[in-house]
Amino acid sequence: MSLRKLMAMVAAAASMLAADAMAQKVITLWHPYNAETDMIHYGIKTFNESQKEYRIEARLVPYTQLTAEMIKAIATGTPPDLVTLNDPVVASFASQDQLVDITDRIRNSKVINLSVYFKGPQTSGVWQGRRYSIAREVNALGLFYNADLFRAHGLDPDKPPKTWSEVRAAAEKLTDPAHHVFGIGFCAHGSEQSTFQFLPWLWQAGGSINKLDSPEAIEALQYWTDLVQKGYASKDVINQQQNDVINSFMAGNYAMAVGGPWELPRIQKDVKFDWRVTVLPVKDGKNIQASSLGGFHFAIPRGAKEIDGAFKAIEFLSTPAIFQDGWKSGLMAPRADVEVKDPLWPKAYAVFREQVKYAIQRGPHPQWPDLSRPIQIAIQESLTGVKPPAQALKEAAAKIQPILARQPL
Amino acid sequence: MRRGPRGIDAAWLIAMAHARSPLLLVFLLAPVFYLLALIGFPILYNILMSFQEVTLGNLSKLLRPFVGLDNYREVFADPVFRQVFVNSLVFVGVNVVGQVTLGLMAALFFAETFAGAHFLRGLLLATWMLPGLVVGALWKWMFASQYGVVNFVLEALHAIGGPVHWLSDPAIAMTTVNIAHIWYIMPFSMILIAAALTAIPLEQYEAAELDGAGPVARLRYITLPALRPTLLAVACLVTIYSMRAFDMIFALTQGGPLDSSNVLPLLSYQFSFQQFKFGIGAAVGTFAVVFVFAVALVYVRTLKHEARA
Repeated sequence: MSLRKLMAMVAAAASMLAADAMAQKVITLWHPYNAETDMIHYGIKTFNESQKEYRIEARLVPYTQLTAEMIKAIATGTPPDLVTLNDPVVASFASQDQLVDITDRIRNSKVINLSVYFKGPQTSGVWQGRRYSIAREVNALGLFYNADLFRAHGLDPDKPPKTWSEVRAAAEKLTDPAHHVFGIGFCAHGSEQSTFQFLPWLWQAGGSINKLDSPEAIEALQYWTDLVQKGYASKDVINQQQNDVINSFMAGNYAMAVGGPWELPRIQKDVKFDWRVTVLPVKDGKNIQASSLGGFHFAIPRGAKEIDGAFKAIEFLSTPAIFQDGWKSGLMAPRADVEVKDPLWPKAYAVFREQVKYAIQRGPHPQWPDLSRPIQIAIQESLTGVKPPAQALKEAAAKIQPILARQPL
Repeated sequence: MRRGPRGIDAAWLIAMAHARSPLLLVFLLAPVFYLLALIGFPILYNILMSFQEVTLGNLSKLLRPFVGLDNYREVFADPVFRQVFVNSLVFVGVNVVGQVTLGLMAALFFAETFAGAHFLRGLLLATWMLPGLVVGALWKWMFASQYGVVNFVLEALHAIGGPVHWLSDPAIAMTTVNIAHIWYIMPFSMILIAAALTAIPLEQYEAAELDGAGPVARLRYITLPALRPTLLAVACLVTIYSMRAFDMIFALTQGGPLDSSNVLPLLSYQFSFQQFKFGIGAAVGTFAVVFVFAVALVYVRTLKHEARA
C-alpha cells in the first residue's frame, strides 16, 4: 500500500468520524443535582444511549448559584438549551420573555399528559395563560421526629402530634436545656427558605399572602415566635438554612424538625436513633391541611439553540420510569398517577405522598422575590423580638400590597 | 531622586517613550489594555446600569431605558441601604484599627528571637490563604450557640451566664463578623509590618539602648516612626480588603439577621441576583467603587511618598 493511499484512507476515516460527530446535536443542560442517585444522571445516560440525533451535555451548577448563573447567561446571551429552575422563579423569567413558550409543544406531546399532573406544579409553570416550564419533581414539608426522645419523655412515638397545641405541648416536653435539646426546629433563615417554611403555618391558620396583617397571619407568626421565646426552639433558627436545621435534628439537638423528603437519603444513612416523619399539624379548630410545594421545573431559555432537542429531552426525562427513579434521592413525581412500587423508606414515602396533596405552590408571580422578602423580614423581626408579630406583619403587608395591586397573585 | 521600581513617574515614562522602541510600546499598551478591558469597562458598565431600568428582559442589551437618578433615589430612600452603609463604615473602621493594632503586636512578637518564631509566623499566614467561604463556614461552626466551641470555652471559663447568640442576635452579629474577619486578614497585615520591621537598622536600637531608652521608649521613638508609612499603607489595604469582604460574610451570616451584618458588596449582590433589581444593585455597587477608589488614591500617594522618602 502506498503512502498516498494510506493517507487517503486515514483522511476518509477521519471525515467519517467528524461527520458522525457533526450529525449529533448537543443539548446543553444546567442542573444542581450533585447526588449520584439523582434521576437526572440516569436520565441523561439513557437519553444519550436511546437515540443518535442528540446528546445531552450537562453542567452541574450549585443549587444556590443556579439563578445567578442564569442571570449571567442572559446578560451575556449564552443561555443553555435546557435548565432546571426552582418553581417560584419561573414566573420572574417567563414574565420577562426569557423562556420559550412550550404551551403548544406540551399540547401536541404524545408523552406528557398534563391532566395527570398535580395541580400545584401545573400552576407554577404558567404565566398569563401560557406555559413556560414543566415540573421535574415535587416536594413538600413534613415533620421529622426523634422517636427515642419521644419515648424518653413519655410521649408515644406512634401517636405524633397532630395539632398546633399538640406540637407545642410535645416541644415543651422534649426541650431539655441540660442536654442541649430543643423541642422543635424550623427554618427562619433570611432567604426564600424561611418563606417556604412559614407559608404552611400561615395557610393552616387560614391566612394568606394577600392579607398579611389579618388576625390569622398574626396568629401564625405569634405561634412561631412563642416557640422561640419560650425556648422550645433555638434562637439560632433565624440563621439556619433548611439543611442546618436537619443537621441539628440528626445530631439529636432538635427533637422535631420541619424538613423535606430530599433530606431522607442522608437521614437514613447517618442517623442512628429511631427517626420518623409525619404530616405537618393543623391548627386547632381550623383543621386546614397545608404544606409548601417545592421542586424544580424544566425550562428552555430564550436563545436556546436546540429547542426541538431540548423538548425531546424534557419528554424523555418526564416518563414514569424516570419519575420513579427520583424517590431514591427523596424526590417525588409531579404526576398523581405515578406510584413508586416497593419504595425505599415506605413509611416516609406514604407521609410525603399524602403531604404533597395539600401542598400549595408559591406564586406564580413575576415579582415573587419582592413578595417573599418582606415576609422573611417580618419573621426575623418577630423572632428576634425587634418588633411584635402584628407590627412586623403590618409593615410587610404595606410593602406587599402595592405589588399585589399591580399584579395580583 | 532615587529611581526604585516604585519610583516610576510620568516624566520617566515620557523619557522612555522617546527612546522609540516599538517593543516598549507593546509592553506599555498591554497593561493599559488589560486595565481598560478588565477594570475600566466593568466599572463604566456598572455606572451605566445604575442610571438605567434594567430587567431580566433587557439585561443582554446595552441601551436600556434611562431613568436618571431614580435608582439612587430609591437606594437613599431604603432604610436597609442606610443601615448597611453605616455597617460598612463600622466594619471598615473596626477592621483597620483591629488589624493594624493586632498585626503590629503579632509582628513585634514574632520579631523576638525564640525557637520556632519564623515557623509560627508562617503558620499564622495560612489563615489568610484560606478561601473566604471556608473561613465563614469554620466560624459559623465555632460560633454556633449550642454546640459551638466559642460558647463552650466561654462557659467553661464562666465568662458568660448562658449561650451567646453570636450569629442570630442582631445586636451581636456585626461584632461576630468583625472578629472573624480580623482573624482572617490580620496575618496579612502582620507580614507587611514584619517586613518593614526588618528594614529598621539594628544600630538605631543599640544606640538608643546605650542612651538609656527602655523598650517602651524604643517602640515610641524608633519603631513607630519608622513604621508610619507602612502602617498607613496597611490601613489602606485593610480598608480595601474590608470593603470587598463578601464571601466570608456570605458563608457566615449572609448579612443577617435583619441586615445587621450586611455590607455594601453583599447588598449589591442580593439586589441583583436575588431580587432581580439590577439597576439598584448597580447603584449600591457604585458607592462601594467610589469609596474604594478614594482609599486606593490615598494608598498610591502613600507609596509614592514612601518611595521618595
